[in-house]
Amino acid sequence: MSNQSGNIYGLTILSPIKDDPHGEISHSLAIRMYLQTLPVDGKGPFGKVSSTHMARLVVLDDVVYFGMPSCEEHLKSKYLIFESNFDGELEPYLKQLAAEAGDEVHNIWQHCIGYPGVQNVDAFVAYMKRCQVETTFYFADVNDKTVQQTLKALQTQSAVASFIENNQGKPPDQLQAAFVEFLRRLSIAPRPKPGSTKGKELADELL
Amino acid sequence: MSNIHGKAYAMNTVSPMKPWKTYILRLGFFVWRHYKPIGNGLVQLSFIHFARWVVVPRYAFPRLSEQQPKDDLQYDYLFFFSNFNGTWNQYIDAFSAVLFSGLNLIWRWSEKFPGSVPVTPFKNFIVRGQVETDYYYTAYPHATTNDIKAAHRVEAALDNFARQTEGMPPAKFAEAYSQFLVKVQGDLGETGEAPVGT
Repeated sequence: MSNQSGNIYGLTILSPIKDDPHGEISHSLAIRMYLQTLPVDGKGPFGKVSSTHMARLVVLDDVVYFGMPSCEEHLKSKYLIFESNFDGELEPYLKQLAAEAGDEVHNIWQHCIGYPGVQNVDAFVAYMKRCQVETTFYFADVNDKTVQQTLKALQTQSAVASFIENNQGKPPDQLQAAFVEFLRRLSIAPRPKPGSTKGKELADELL
Repeated sequence: MSNIHGKAYAMNTVSPMKPWKTYILRLGFFVWRHYKPIGNGLVQLSFIHFARWVVVPRYAFPRLSEQQPKDDLQYDYLFFFSNFNGTWNQYIDAFSAVLFSGLNLIWRWSEKFPGSVPVTPFKNFIVRGQVETDYYYTAYPHATTNDIKAAHRVEAALDNFARQTEGMPPAKFAEAYSQFLVKVQGDLGETGEAPVGT
């Protein structure tokens, strides 16, 4: 299936945006203004949905005209593009999005035609599926690791580098004891949260 | 800037295609997927987390109510979304240098595509079709694709080393530890904030 690469799902959604000529500001501008206020770290909507590797939102005002001899044409609606790369299957992801980031989802998609709200999760999932377009060709460089596995590996990498640096020149018995203690601390260490930039600090705290 | 988050850049482009040409492009993607994965070239580049091409036929832009005006388009549209590390210029330069034949086969069906080599007209084409990102999230903003692959190798090597040296006498442990260092030394680059680019 072209929407998937290994265990990663590539979701592409085009949601038509409402057009209200009598509104104080356009719905597309309202979406853009709201998006500017959202945190981009783990406190943002996709950080709350922990299976999201990367995601973006784009307001598409119109298609692009490249000049003669091609014909100039325009869309009659603006579209909100939602592109996401996540672990697992589509329906559980959309349900988690509605459950974990319902407020943000509502504040964004309330400006879109046909949006039913997030209270009725099944209606929300059905709406998103109506807006989905099939990915024609999808590439994921690392497609067999979850977000959590990758965050853990990055933490381990950083911790190992610090351990090696801090234990240079130690006699074998002390080195081995330090390594056993290092493994113990690593196994119980808090994991970095998605979207966090504190992976290295968490690793350093182990040592 | 919303196109950039940490070490990742979100690029979006859109280009029109005559509808009959999209059948050829779809066939090309089918062939690449099943017989000669273009993914091999993208893996070689090793700075793209995720990338996708999406063909939206002229009649397939979602229309969700009778009140929504019906689009009347002559062209199908090719969307390209990429999540890559580095700067925009580095990305397009590398794309043009390494994947030029593959890129030509993908975009030659778009109107006014100048070819991926030489790079200047190609960059002008990309700039013309690029749409800015309004919100961009990544779960690991300080890590590149190479960091991620290296981290998984280090973790696997550590697990293996820990298993093999459990209960080992200290002298033998120190010897195995030296071999472990040799194995992982190339994968211990530090993650962190991206350098300022252009």
